[in-house]
Amino acid sequence: MNKLIPVEMDINNQHYKLEIPPNKRLLDVLRDDLDLIATKECCGIGECGACTVLVNGKAINSCLMLAVEADGAKILTAEGLSDNGRLDSLQEAFLEKGAVQCGFCIPGQLISAKYLLTQNPHPTHEEVVEGMAGNLCRCGGYERIIEAVISAAEKAEEKK
Amino acid sequence: MHDFEYIRPKTIAEAVNFLDSQGSNVRILAGGTDLIIQLRNNDIQPSFILDLKNIPELQTGIQIKNGFVSISATVTMSDIILDPLINQYFPALVDAAKVVGSVQIRNRATLVGNICNASPAADGAPPLLVYGADIIAVGTKGTRRIPLNDFFVRSGETTLQKGELVVSIEIPLPIKKMGAAHVRRTRRRGHDLASVTLCCGVEETGKVRLCYGSVGPRPVLVIDDSGVLADEKASEEAKAEIFERMFAQASPSKKSMRASPAYRLAMLRVLGKQALELAISRLNEGGGK
Amino acid sequence: MNFQTVGTSPYRSGGYERVTGQQRYVADLKIPGMLETKLVKIDCARAKILSIDTTNAKKVPGVRLVMTAGDLPQPVPRFGPQIADRPVLADGEVKFHGEPVALVVAETIEAAEEAARLVHVQYEELPPAFTVAAALDPAAPLVMDPSLRPDDPLAKTNIFKEHRFGWGEIDESKADLVVENTYSFPMVTQFAIEPHAFIAAPDRDGIAVWSTIQHPYWLQKILANLFKLPLSKVRVYAPDPGGGFGGKQHTKYEPALVFAALKLGCPVRLVLTLEETFQAVRRTSCDTFIRTGFTRDGKLVFQEITANYLMGAYVDIADRVVAKGSYAGAGPYNVPAVRILSRSILSHTPPATAFRGFGNPEVNWAVESNIDEGARLLGIDRLEIRLRNLAKKGDKFIPYDKPADGDWKQTVLRAAELVGWGKPLPPSHHRGIAIGIKLGPTTGLSYSLVRLLADGSVIIFCGTSDMGQGARTVFAQIAAEELGVSYENVNVVMGDTAIVPYDQQTSASRSTVLMGNSVLKACRSIHAQLKTRLSKSLQIDESEITVEHGIVKLPDREAPITEFIKTALGKLGGEFVGVGEERKDAEKDHPLGGSACFYEFNCTAVEAEVDKNTGDVTIARYVTVSDVGKSINPMQVHMQDEGAAVQGLGHTLMEHYIFDEKGRIRNLGAADYRILTTMDLPKEFYSETVENADGPGPYGAKGMSEGALLCVSSAVASAVGEAIGAAIKDLPLTPERVWAAMQAPKSNSILQ
Repeated sequence: MNKLIPVEMDINNQHYKLEIPPNKRLLDVLRDDLDLIATKECCGIGECGACTVLVNGKAINSCLMLAVEADGAKILTAEGLSDNGRLDSLQEAFLEKGAVQCGFCIPGQLISAKYLLTQNPHPTHEEVVEGMAGNLCRCGGYERIIEAVISAAEKAEEKK
Repeated sequence: MHDFEYIRPKTIAEAVNFLDSQGSNVRILAGGTDLIIQLRNNDIQPSFILDLKNIPELQTGIQIKNGFVSISATVTMSDIILDPLINQYFPALVDAAKVVGSVQIRNRATLVGNICNASPAADGAPPLLVYGADIIAVGTKGTRRIPLNDFFVRSGETTLQKGELVVSIEIPLPIKKMGAAHVRRTRRRGHDLASVTLCCGVEETGKVRLCYGSVGPRPVLVIDDSGVLADEKASEEAKAEIFERMFAQASPSKKSMRASPAYRLAMLRVLGKQALELAISRLNEGGGK
Repeated sequence: MNFQTVGTSPYRSGGYERVTGQQRYVADLKIPGMLETKLVKIDCARAKILSIDTTNAKKVPGVRLVMTAGDLPQPVPRFGPQIADRPVLADGEVKFHGEPVALVVAETIEAAEEAARLVHVQYEELPPAFTVAAALDPAAPLVMDPSLRPDDPLAKTNIFKEHRFGWGEIDESKADLVVENTYSFPMVTQFAIEPHAFIAAPDRDGIAVWSTIQHPYWLQKILANLFKLPLSKVRVYAPDPGGGFGGKQHTKYEPALVFAALKLGCPVRLVLTLEETFQAVRRTSCDTFIRTGFTRDGKLVFQEITANYLMGAYVDIADRVVAKGSYAGAGPYNVPAVRILSRSILSHTPPATAFRGFGNPEVNWAVESNIDEGARLLGIDRLEIRLRNLAKKGDKFIPYDKPADGDWKQTVLRAAELVGWGKPLPPSHHRGIAIGIKLGPTTGLSYSLVRLLADGSVIIFCGTSDMGQGARTVFAQIAAEELGVSYENVNVVMGDTAIVPYDQQTSASRSTVLMGNSVLKACRSIHAQLKTRLSKSLQIDESEITVEHGIVKLPDREAPITEFIKTALGKLGGEFVGVGEERKDAEKDHPLGGSACFYEFNCTAVEAEVDKNTGDVTIARYVTVSDVGKSINPMQVHMQDEGAAVQGLGHTLMEHYIFDEKGRIRNLGAADYRILTTMDLPKEFYSETVENADGPGPYGAKGMSEGALLCVSSAVASAVGEAIGAAIKDLPLTPERVWAAMQAPKSNSILQ
C-alpha cells in the first residue's frame, strides 16, 4: 500500500485539498471521492470521450490522467457549466436542438464543445465535426450536437 | 489499478539517476495516453511511475538550437499542430500530429512518447524519419545523439539503454528544399489506429525519402536517388517500378486484425502515389525552407 | 384536432438534469456501505472447469467474498426469459469467452481487481462451436445440456428451435427468374455509452436491486422466483439507462450479485467495463440462404428463406428474436408463395439478446439485396420493382395476419423524391434504396397511474424505461394535452417496482402506443371523475357536462380543466387519481402469440460513391422516411430515426466481432471495434415522417425508432453494388471488403 500524496486542485472554481493514492485516475477521484458524477466512464481507454474534462483549459480524457498529475490544476467538469442553476449557452443549445437523448455522453460532449469554442469562437461545420470527433454518441446522429455547438457560437457572437 | 509509487523529479539528472538505479521497475509518464491504458489493462506492473512534467529542463518546448529544431519531451501533438516552426519547416509532421487520436488525446500525447512507445504504426515516426530526425538521450554517462533510424528495433523496442531518458527530438533545419506529406489508411474517417502509415519527401534534386509503417515490426525508411518519381515526364510504369523496389521491405503481419497483408500492401501503393503527389505540390509551393 | 402540446417539441423531460450533469445513472449512485465487485473470467471460449482455487484471492486485504458456482445452492440456480438455462455463475463449464466463473467482492475496486487476478482456475480447453457451420455440424459439441429440454427432438443438436412460416404453394410456383444467394449479417454489439451496472442489497426481509435494466418487472419476477420471495419483497430500481437498444432488456448478473449481497448482508455493486459489455450482450448474427422467384415484369412469385441465426451459449430472448425477426421475412410485399425456415442456433459465444430491429435487419439484408439483384438481372429500376410488389394499405400481405396498416407507397415515394431518384447523378455517384418492415408488439400490458394535483400539476407513474428515446416526454405531453395543463408541470416517475404499477417491458417500439394509451386512459378516467365531482359541486346533471381534451364544457361556458379543479375537489380538497390499463392479450393459435399492434415501416435511400483505390464508401446523401402515424414529439421522432440510421451505418460499414481460431473475441472494447464518429457521417441527411394518424396509439400514433435501422445496410449496399458492379453479400462493407470485391472476378447467381 503506497503512500497518499497531498494534492490541491481547483474544480469548478472550488478549491480542494486532497490526499490521494497515485494509482487513482482523475476520473476516479472526481466521481468516487468528490461525488462529481457528471463525468462518466465508458471505454476506459480514451476512445469515447465520455470522461472529458478541462484541465488548465485543455480538454483531456480524465480516464487517461492520474489524479496526482492534476496537482495545482484548474479543472472544469460539466457540473461547472451552469451558473447557479442557469444554463450556459451550450447547455441551452443542446436542449433546444435535440442533442440530448439518453444523456450519458452529454457531459463529455459539452466540455469538448466548450473547449472547441474557447479555441475557435467561430468554427465552421467542418471544424466542429473535427473538434467533436473524440466524443462518441450511440443514441443520436451527431448532427444535432454539431448544430447545437454552432448555434451556441452564433448566439455568443450576437451577444457581443 | 496496480499499486505504484509516483515519482516527480525536478531535474533531468534526478530522473536519470532514478532510472539507472531502478531499471525496468520504472515507467515514464509524459502524456499518459499509452501508459495509463497499459496500467488499466494490467499489461505492466511497474513499482514506480516517473512523471516528467515537473522538470523545467524538459519544458523548453519547440525552439531552434544549433541548426536543429528541438522538440522537448513534454511537447504534445496539439503543440506541434499549432507551432509556427513545425508548420513552416516540417508540415508532414503536422499532418501526422493532426491524426493522432482525438483532440483530447492530442492535448496530452507527446511526440517523444509516441516515438519511444515504438509502435510500428506510430504516426510521428514516418515524418521524423523522412526529415532525418535525431533522438537526444541523456543517461548517467552523458548525452547521446541517436539517428532516429537507428532508434527503432521492433514493436515496443528501441535502442535506448537502461537509465537513459529521451529529452528531445531534434530535426535538422532544412538546407535544401523538400516537400513532404504524411498519409495513412484507417478503418474509418474518425480517429483510428493506422493500418498503414506513409510519409513521402521529395527534394529539389528529385531525391525521394519515403518511410512507411505498420507493415512490419518497425517503420522503414527508403531513399531513391533516381529522380524518376519526381519527374513529371516519367511514365506511370517507371514510377511503379521504383515504388515496388521501395516497398520490398514491407512485411505486414498476418495476425493483425486491422487489415490483411494483401490490403496493406495494396494500400501502400495507393498511399505512396497520394503522398508523392502531395509532396511534389508542397515542394512547388516552396518546400519548407 | 387542435393540439396544444402533442405535435410540438418542448424540451425533453429530464433534459435539464442531463445537461447539468445532475442525472444519476446506476454507476453514479452511492449506497452507504456498498462494496465493489469484479468478475473472474478465463481467456477461453469453451472450457471444462477442473478446479477454482480462491485461497490467494481471499488473502488480499479488503476482500470480503470470493464466490463461485460451488458456493451457490445446488443444483446451481438457472434463469432466462425464454428458458431457465443460464446458471448464475458458470457451472462446471465455461461456454463463452467472458462467462464469469467467479466473482470477487471487496472494499475497494483495486482490491477486487487484484483478488480477481489471484483466483486460480484450472481448466481444460475444449473445442468451441462459434459459427453457424460449426454449430450445425452433426459432430459439434452440444452447447446446451439436453436435459434442459427433455422430449425435444432438437435437444441432441445445437438448434434450439426451428420456426416455419409461410403460405402458398411454393413448390408449384413458376418463375421466369430465380435469384439464389447466401448472405451473412455479422455479430455486433449494442455499445451503449453507459456500460451495464448493477447494485444488490438486502432490504429488510427482502432484496433491493438497482439495475440498468429496460424491463424492471421481468427482472423482479426472475429474482422473486430465484430467491423464493414474494414480488412485494423484491424491489427493482431502474434509473434511466444510458442507452439500451435492447441490450439491457434482460437479467444478466443481478442474480449473482443478490447472492453475494445476501451472504454479506450489505450492498454490492458491479459496473461492467466496456469490454465486458461486449461479452455480455450482442445481436444475433445470421446466415441467410434465399431463393426469390420473379416474373419477367419483376413481380414476386415466391420467396424461400432459410435463416440460420447464431445465438450465444444461453438463449436469453434470442429465440424470440429469431421468430419475430423472420416472420415478416418476405417483406412488405404481396408474395403469392412464401416459405420461411428460421433456426435459432446455440453456439459458444456471448449470449445474443434483443437489439433494435429484433431479428429483422438480419433477414432484411438478404431479402432486399436479392430483390436488387433480381431488378438488375431483369433490367427493372430498383425503385420500380419494389413499387410493383409493395402491399397497399389493407392488403393481407401476410395472408393470415394483420393487413398492411399504412400508406407505404407514400413513404417510399417520399424517400425516392428526397434522394432524387431518377435524377442525373454526379460522376461516380450511385443511388440505392431499400424498404424495411417490422412487427410491433404482439401482446402487451401497461398500467399507469396519473395524479392531477389540486393546483393543476400532474404526476404520472409508469413503468416504461426512458433510455434516451424520450418516453417521459411523450407521456408528459399526452397528459398535458388531455388534462389541459402545462407540460412543464408534469412530472413523470419511473423506475421503481415498489411505487410504479406494472409495465410488461420497454421494447418493440411499444411504449408510445401501449403505455401512451394507458396514460390516455388514466387521464380519461380523471375526466370522468371530474365530471362526476363537478356535477355535484355545480349542481348540474352529468349529462350536461363534457370533459375532454383539456377542456370542461358546461351548458353556458367552456374553459380549461385547470380552472375547475378546485371547484371539483370541493372543500375536502385532495387530488384526482386515474389508473389506465392498456392490454393486448395473447391470441391462441397465432404463430407469434398475437398479431402486431402496428407495423413499423421505413424506406431508406442513399447516394454514395466508392473510392476505387481504397474501397472507402462515402455517403453523399442519406434519406430515411418512416411511417409513424402521428408524432407526439416531432423532434424526438427525428432524433430517434437519426440515431437509428447512424447505428445502422455502424453494422453496415464497420462494426463486427473478430474471433481468433479458438473462438475468443479479439476486438473487445473501443480501440478495435469501430462505431461511427462525427467524422463518419453522411454529407447530407434527411429524416422525414409520414403521418396519416392511422396507428393504434394516442392520436393515431404508431411506434417508431426501430424502423429506420431495418434496411440501412440494404440501401447502402444497393448503391455500392452499382458503384462497383458487383453485389457484396457479407457485412460490414469495410473498405477492405469493398476493395476485395473489386479485385475478385464477378460471380453470377443461378438463373432459371
